[in-house]
Amino acid sequence: MRQILLFGILTSTYLMCIAKRMPALVRSFRYQSFFIFLITLAAGFSEKRIDYYFVALLILVLKVFIIPALLNLTARRINVDENLGLFVNAQLSLVAALVLSYCSWVFSRGLGFGQYHKLLAMTVAFAVIFIGAFLMISRMKALTQVVGLLVMENGVFILASSVSGGMPFFVEIAIFLDVFVSVIIMGLFVFRINKLFTHIDVTKLSRLKG
Amino acid sequence: MQIFIILGLPLLLAPLGYLIARQKIIGVVNAIGYALVLLASILLLKERVLSGEGRSFLGFIYLDGLSAFFILVISVVALASSLYSIGYIKKDMEAGVVSGRKAKLYYLFFNLFCFSMFFVPAVNNLGLMWVAIEMTTLISAFLVGFYNTKGSVEAAWKYIIICSAGIILALLGTILFSSAFSISGLSRSLNWSDMASVAHILDKNILKIAFIFILVGYGTKAGLAPMHTWLPDAHSQAPAPISALLSGVLLETALYAILRFGIIVIKGVGFAYFGNLMLLLGLVSLVISSAFILVQKDLKRLLAYSSIEHMGIIAIGFGLGTPLAVCGALLHVFNHALAKSLMFFGAGDIVSAYKKHNMNAIRGVVKALPFAGIMLLLGVFALGGLPPFCIFISEMMIIIAAFANGSYLTAALMLLFLAVIFGAFIYHFGKMLFGNLPKGMLPPGEPLSSKLAFLFLFFPILTLGIGLLFIKKDLLWIAQGLFQL
Repeated sequence: MRQILLFGILTSTYLMCIAKRMPALVRSFRYQSFFIFLITLAAGFSEKRIDYYFVALLILVLKVFIIPALLNLTARRINVDENLGLFVNAQLSLVAALVLSYCSWVFSRGLGFGQYHKLLAMTVAFAVIFIGAFLMISRMKALTQVVGLLVMENGVFILASSVSGGMPFFVEIAIFLDVFVSVIIMGLFVFRINKLFTHIDVTKLSRLKG
Repeated sequence: MQIFIILGLPLLLAPLGYLIARQKIIGVVNAIGYALVLLASILLLKERVLSGEGRSFLGFIYLDGLSAFFILVISVVALASSLYSIGYIKKDMEAGVVSGRKAKLYYLFFNLFCFSMFFVPAVNNLGLMWVAIEMTTLISAFLVGFYNTKGSVEAAWKYIIICSAGIILALLGTILFSSAFSISGLSRSLNWSDMASVAHILDKNILKIAFIFILVGYGTKAGLAPMHTWLPDAHSQAPAPISALLSGVLLETALYAILRFGIIVIKGVGFAYFGNLMLLLGLVSLVISSAFILVQKDLKRLLAYSSIEHMGIIAIGFGLGTPLAVCGALLHVFNHALAKSLMFFGAGDIVSAYKKHNMNAIRGVVKALPFAGIMLLLGVFALGGLPPFCIFISEMMIIIAAFANGSYLTAALMLLFLAVIFGAFIYHFGKMLFGNLPKGMLPPGEPLSSKLAFLFLFFPILTLGIGLLFIKKDLLWIAQGLFQL
């Protein structure tokens, strides 16, 4: 069961690599967050922990509904074309994602936590983090970088819940709030960039040098 | 007890702009508030150093000598910056760059920014420390983009994206630290004091990898090369009082986080691992920044690269790790904060008088701004490490420690690049400070609050530089207690 959910996360991450337009990217992010919600819920069932239910609820509300809705809203409001501006085309991105997944497999085996089920979760977690970073640097639009950051954060969450049994409850809450605030603030800056530059293409932000 | 004043006052001062109508009174009340904070933090440091051990409040605040020291550094720069803000914001409002509504927002974010920085050294839980450091980024991004020009918004965007991405790696490192803690069979906790007490039985392999993530993550925020790329943009585009806070203390709070994890690693893995990594990053920062300082044309970017240089020197000091070097590095944190804030205030005066950043177009600063000009001249000597100013002492301590430690290559490289950077500074500032005024320019006058801010910073630069010569021995003993090895 757990394994299936982990593969669900991985698949939705690969979907992000081949997304060419903003709505597709946000939809894949939604799937990824939903799988994380299910995994946290399942962990709550099996370990009989009430705080896990609460964290799962937060994921559902924040990462499946509110944050994707905010991203979509921002994308619609700034009203520029929705293409992501791929530096690396979809096929090559997928190949890169596969290579990164293999690297994270090697990396997590090298860390030496031992048990099999932990190893799988760690591999998925690192793969999600690496692919998130890859998305940040291989797409031109400012909003994609925000999504890349969120993907990395999701990966870190999977790592935390699989390796060290999650963080203390109030730290988890604080981190969720922090992520939420950062999405709002980044959204505000995307608006400002769009207003001042009339585009959100970060490769053209090159006034400051040297 | 003092910690509640230190954390509470900035929060109380935050909505000040919306309660008081007159602009000038807002600034003055703000400065008085930070004077009280400074007083409280001096008392706190005295108490912590005398007792020599950590103490926790309510479970989540933990204070020892190291955190009290960083709180003191933050409060000194915060007071200077709030003093300087009075005149700076007034000038901007007269020039029509800033509206009354924006000035209120400025004080709101200024205080929230200070609060989040005070929170970093005070908190015991490493997860909450991460949240606090991310908060400093998010709040100060507004201050960097304060002028809402193309340049400042671009700088703010780069700042927020690069630092957030970096800091996610730091969160990853934090989780690996906590996993090393939990697989050793102990109860789940992210408290630094719990982790440090059992550091020697933690898994060495995981600690090593986790520290790499911490170093890259918080190192991005601390402005260590090669993760420094956001720094010159953000520092050069922010308003001058904010540049001083960014350069003087924001970088140091990230460094504080590295040190906290470093102490666990030193206890768990041994000193060589931590020391070599810090030395490497420090030297790379020194080399890269010196190259950019030599060819720099923009005044505030010059100072920003100098911050990278000084963070490099501090990293080298901690990387050497002998009591003398650690003492020098801690002193350098304080001295750099003083001298760099002074320079940024001077640069702020120059930019608002000449309306440009390009150093080739600025001439005759001493004639236009007599007080700030003299202060800048003295500040260049202080920043370059000339006696009798305090940076001379701390740099000397680190270099002597390097020689005594047998790290001749480190010492030689440091001396070489410091000389290069000093030469470049004299060249750049010599051209700007002297010479004739541009035609048709009138001296703009200097407000009393800015002069006070300059004097407040310059006084300790001079007195520490002379006074430290006589009390070095006690200081070594105290420094060893601060950074328990």
